[in-house]
Amino acid sequence: MSDEAPCPVFDVRIADTGEVYQCPARETLLKAMARLGRKGIPSGCHGGGCGVCKVRVTGEVTTMAMSRSHVSETEERQGYVLACRCYPRGHLSVEVVGKLHKAVTRPRYGFV
Amino acid sequence: MGVMRIGHINIRVLDMDAALHHYENVLGLLRADQDGDGNVYLRGWDEWDKYSVILSPSDRAGMNHIAYKVESDDDLDVLRRRIEAYGIEVEECPAGALPDCGRSLRFHLPSGHLMYLYAEKTYVGKAVSTTNPDPWPDGLKGAGVHWLDHALLMCELDPESGVNKVEESTAFMQDVLDFKLTEQVLVGPDGDIKAATWLARTSTPHDIAFVGGPVKGLHHCAFFLDEWSDVLKAADVMAKNKVKIDVTPQRHGITRGATIYFFDPSGNRNETFAGLGYLAQPDMPVITWTEDELGRGIFYHTGELNEAFTTVYTEGA
Repeated sequence: MSDEAPCPVFDVRIADTGEVYQCPARETLLKAMARLGRKGIPSGCHGGGCGVCKVRVTGEVTTMAMSRSHVSETEERQGYVLACRCYPRGHLSVEVVGKLHKAVTRPRYGFV
Repeated sequence: MGVMRIGHINIRVLDMDAALHHYENVLGLLRADQDGDGNVYLRGWDEWDKYSVILSPSDRAGMNHIAYKVESDDDLDVLRRRIEAYGIEVEECPAGALPDCGRSLRFHLPSGHLMYLYAEKTYVGKAVSTTNPDPWPDGLKGAGVHWLDHALLMCELDPESGVNKVEESTAFMQDVLDFKLTEQVLVGPDGDIKAATWLARTSTPHDIAFVGGPVKGLHHCAFFLDEWSDVLKAADVMAKNKVKIDVTPQRHGITRGATIYFFDPSGNRNETFAGLGYLAQPDMPVITWTEDELGRGIFYHTGELNEAFTTVYTEGA
């Protein structure tokens, strides 16, 4: 038997695809998705610095520091968060805002 | 004469306690100092100047500036004239503007990144001393990195709008600061667009690199390890500490370095870079990578560009 208190687990629904995965309260939305091998939210630095995992969340969450380069205070009040800095406090729905490739439709020059 | 090597990098972090755990316990840097503004100064055990990393508390991740050390104080006067003659504004900062450093030159690369040059920094000596030294000190933590090795800066590249800050910053480093171009990636229909470059003042494959991306940024700063077995151990240390690894141990085709890409707790990418690659002498011919083999240039084993390589990075200023 573990001495640790049981950790609540919440459903996270990715609105864009309708997929649902489970995220424990002690794990970030992005980490839980990646650990389960699931896709949907772009996965980047996992440190709140690069911004690719930006989502708009509906539901209760707590967040850690996120780079203001990617989430302004106004946006944060409107529910925009970086999934790598965000812990669920109830069942959630997220809408993916961040993108890995911003330029898929134009010719690429090596890296861009 | 001129620039010797990378001197330090100033990185912004969102959570200083988490950052210090990462840079001290995971990478194994030694804490050198802390100032009244909360900036923390660190160095590798094999370095002799007081610091090579400044961590600054901030609400935005990324890089404030990068600094290179020149050989003598007189070099600063020569280089100031050359930079100004190139059309770039230079500010001369008094001793102490960069903590524990002599006077410095402050200017922006054509790519917009802030760079300093300085000739003097407080000497503290290597952790193994200079008299009959052991090959490594006791008590090293984590990966036990030797020194800050290089940085890769993302530069705006949009050939259709005629924007190529990789090319502009490269030309500046070559023409004004006398860096040697060791490797380049050429892309586009005619294979003539410089999309990435690696440049050196030391005899290693690079002391700085530029890669084209949508916006200016800090791609990574790299810390030196001796060899492949150190890379594996470093990856174990990262796994133990649940560090987000971007690319597990692998070899770069470009520079031949054995590498791990990973992120600090604020999302700034780090690298541990092992091996000296090759001897980058001034007369060594430039190595060129073509667009079709670009993936192998970056990640030699998989030969595939990782999607995050040019899209996941933090701010460059």
